[in-house]
Amino acid sequence: MARLFAGSEVLSPYRDRRFPGTQDEFEEALQASTTVYVGNLSFYTTEEQIYDLFSRCGEIKKIIMGLDKNSKTPCGFCFVMYYTREDTEDAVKYVSGTMLDERPIRVDFDWGFQDGRQWGRGRSGGQVRDEYRTDYDPGRGGYGKIVQRELESRRQLVDYAGNLGTYYNSSGAHDDHRSSHRSSRGRKRHRGDDDYRSDRYRESNRESRPEKNPRFRERHDSDEEESSKR
Amino acid sequence: MSERGSAKEDLPFSEEIVVPLRSLQLDSLESCYTYVARDLGVSESDILLWLMECIEHLPHKIPLYGTLVGLLNTEDSDFAAKVVQLCRERIEESLVSGDCNKLRILIRFVAVLMSNNVIAPASLVEVLETLLSLAATTIDDEKGNPAWQPKADFHVFCIMASLPWAGIELLERAPDELERVMAGIEAYLNVRKPIVDTCFTAFPSSNDDYLVDLWKRIKHCQESGWKVESVPRPHLAFEAKLVTCQTHDFGPVTCPYPPEGADESQTSSFGRQHHEAEQKFPQRLRRLSIFPPAKTDECMAPVDRFVVEEYILDVLLYLNGRRKECAAYLANLPVPFRYEYVMAETIFSQLFLLPKPPFKPIYYTIVIIDLCKALPGAFPTVVAGAVRALFSKMDDLDIECRTRLIHWFAHHLSNFQFVWPWKEWIDLVDLPKWAPQRYFVQEVLEKEVRLAYYERIKQSLEDVPKLFELLPPKSLPYFKYTAENQDGCTESEMLLSTELTAMVKSKKTARDIQVWVEEKILPAFGQKSAIEIVVQTLFYLGAKSFTHMITVLERYGQVLSKLATDQSYQVFLIQEVSKVWQFSVQMTVIAIDRMMGYRIISNLSIISWVFGPDNVERFHTSDFLWEILRNAISKTVNRTEDLQRDIIAAQKALDLARAATSKANSNLQTAQSVLDSAETEEAVAQATAKAEWAKTLVEKRKHEEASAEETLDAKHALLNHSLREQEDLFISVFENFCSVLSERLSKASPRSTDMEEDKPSAMDIDNSMENGKEGQKKEQLTEESQWQAATLGQLSAVTRQYATEIWKHMDKLEAQVFSRPVHYLVLKTLNNCIRRI
Repeated sequence: MARLFAGSEVLSPYRDRRFPGTQDEFEEALQASTTVYVGNLSFYTTEEQIYDLFSRCGEIKKIIMGLDKNSKTPCGFCFVMYYTREDTEDAVKYVSGTMLDERPIRVDFDWGFQDGRQWGRGRSGGQVRDEYRTDYDPGRGGYGKIVQRELESRRQLVDYAGNLGTYYNSSGAHDDHRSSHRSSRGRKRHRGDDDYRSDRYRESNRESRPEKNPRFRERHDSDEEESSKR
Repeated sequence: MSERGSAKEDLPFSEEIVVPLRSLQLDSLESCYTYVARDLGVSESDILLWLMECIEHLPHKIPLYGTLVGLLNTEDSDFAAKVVQLCRERIEESLVSGDCNKLRILIRFVAVLMSNNVIAPASLVEVLETLLSLAATTIDDEKGNPAWQPKADFHVFCIMASLPWAGIELLERAPDELERVMAGIEAYLNVRKPIVDTCFTAFPSSNDDYLVDLWKRIKHCQESGWKVESVPRPHLAFEAKLVTCQTHDFGPVTCPYPPEGADESQTSSFGRQHHEAEQKFPQRLRRLSIFPPAKTDECMAPVDRFVVEEYILDVLLYLNGRRKECAAYLANLPVPFRYEYVMAETIFSQLFLLPKPPFKPIYYTIVIIDLCKALPGAFPTVVAGAVRALFSKMDDLDIECRTRLIHWFAHHLSNFQFVWPWKEWIDLVDLPKWAPQRYFVQEVLEKEVRLAYYERIKQSLEDVPKLFELLPPKSLPYFKYTAENQDGCTESEMLLSTELTAMVKSKKTARDIQVWVEEKILPAFGQKSAIEIVVQTLFYLGAKSFTHMITVLERYGQVLSKLATDQSYQVFLIQEVSKVWQFSVQMTVIAIDRMMGYRIISNLSIISWVFGPDNVERFHTSDFLWEILRNAISKTVNRTEDLQRDIIAAQKALDLARAATSKANSNLQTAQSVLDSAETEEAVAQATAKAEWAKTLVEKRKHEEASAEETLDAKHALLNHSLREQEDLFISVFENFCSVLSERLSKASPRSTDMEEDKPSAMDIDNSMENGKEGQKKEQLTEESQWQAATLGQLSAVTRQYATEIWKHMDKLEAQVFSRPVHYLVLKTLNNCIRRI
């Protein structure tokens, strides 16, 4: 059946720029792989949620959470490894585009996990897409990092209650009812004394960065505190 | 999809050919015909193959393809002849390979070819009668093998299923032959045995079996002059043109003879063969009635319902994995009446299909989600209606189907912001814990929490705080050795735990910890206390996430293995783990699953724990014990399957290695003979070097062959071991089921303990399950009857799902389990579920 719709088919729309081999080798790896890459996760989504959803396609061997390379906290992607190719294909076929934590997640074949790939590749430690995003995404730490930095520097320059919302609206990025202080809400929520790390993750940078509780979702964050952070 | 596999693999995708063919519509028929006719000269063979591909994979469009071929026949009768020939060849192939779907669809296509005057009515009738006589031979005691009736039934099904596409044309052009075919079908139906489907329906049902049901629909269709609204007849518009054409001879279809299974009727038991036949020729659909007939059956003629179901099942089958196309086709079937309700019933019937749906249940979840999006005005309401209707019949729903419904519903809601009018069901809070409806809601909420988190689901119940009571507890680990908990543990135990925590945190090796356990705990406190302390401490340390737990188990699993030396200690270990995770069934399930994975605990220990006295009392109030049981069985069976795959690969490797050795040998011989015939010194030197090298290669290849052989032997040994493990597992599962059920069933109806007779007894729950009338029944439900129904239901689930494995181990099971005194209801359930007659 699939043959009738072949041609337009690409195994994975993404080409990992750090894949060491050629395009052919890349595709070959995808064709045999039993690992999927899962994207657009909320930072708060836990391994157990992922486990429950993805085991609907088959027995799971391993889950590797993508972590911010500085804070060692989840940064919105993961790898799920299966035992069989069939289950892997089903995960791509069925789960991609459906909701997890009320977000549409993306599931693609992955060429295979190697140590090091669990870290975000963005400058600020998270995923590259979270550097440049201009929308406000509460599940992924609010605004993109560049926007956040800009907001913060503006906050120091301009008056506090200034309408940064309007400022960013000019780039068509978000609803104007969001006021400036929200920009840091997501980050605030990461705070917590809960140590979210297995020893495997624990490599460096313990000191300064507070860990976020992956399931900490209360709405009462007081934004004033926020400015004291970082 | 194998026969022509290689040829088809080579067929390159061609946009110019495929796109117009696959997107063929009623209104593009003429333009497509002109387009294809023009290209026939250049790429005839590709067009032919892609056309067949479309026919076989987009069968709901067969009338269009039939007319396309009919039109092409007016221009290029050679091409049409090739279509006919290819079609016959493929029918023959699928008769040999047993490819059910292909056969069914091709027979339909032959019927459509007749309607388009590509073949003569007599040709079609000949094909149908060939199948009929094949079916009659298959179930013949002497020439065939009645155990293979599922196959014969299927062939007769194909005949009947093609008639809606050709009935009216046959009636017009060959009424006597049509009559003859109908008489032939009837004769077959009189000879065959009706299918006993008890234990395989989602709800107790007194429906006809699928073949008789279809027969009634076809009879009805015949009585109404073969009018079928759901089958488009595009050829009518071109009739004048089509009748002038030459019809092609279809030619006789050769069937494999003797029919499959005929030779084994003596060698293997009837039940086992019947099971095999059923695996190969499974029932596609067990119709589900969820909605009132006004919304379903009364909207269409009986035969139209059948046709619509065929469309839906085929789209589900062939467009699996093509989400957009699948939803689009389902939403736009070529029928002139509304069918959303029938569609919902059909999709749910697939989700509930026993023993197992054609695809993983998650597929149907996705289809329903996609349809809700494709038909936002109609489908969500239909789905909600289905949930309400199923909810109202929850008491009668098969236990396994109930579990599937729970998983589906939670997942479905997770895709729609967890919005559901829970208020409607608020009264069930007053029902006892074991009441099926309450159980349903409680389990749905638990699955929702797994997909989200406690607070979110609680929030979704905001306007019905009464239902908070049904929420699972917040998922937190329970650690014994804290100041607050301290349940029954001594100061020294707490200190040991603290010490162990420190050792783990400072990354002491497993060996260090083992020594520490042996010195500090075992002598003074004994093995059980050691397990308690180690399990509590390690699992608490690994409680943060799935990966944390795995990391701890990977690092310190051997400490646990050393402590849990035999089954009773392993059961104790599981019990301790389940205490740590008493507030999270999900984590309990995962922990046990992983410990089995690391072989810290055996599958037998898991079974023994599941059937432990405390747990038995929870059989009817929550699903997680069954989830653990299911996982343990499927992991065991998966291991065997993995090994079987490995063995095939290892055998291939060995064959290759052998071929390489023999090639190296023949090279050596050649080199040797060159050396023998060499005359000059130079030639001798050269040939010697070559022969030496060939010798080296032979040695190398021999070595490789030996190692491939070794690998294969090792895998075989592993497989044998794993098969024994599987056998022991099933023996244990059934022993436990039998003993736990027989005991309680006999208490309820002591007179029927003897296994011979199914005499109805005073409190025959079998009856209440099979013929229970809603309404009256509610009062009869007691906790005990619910426990029995739930446990028998779980027994059915396991037996149905693993019937193949059970048949494999039947001799041992007979000898060790079923020959003992077992309550007749248990035996009856077992026999029904493996269809032992």
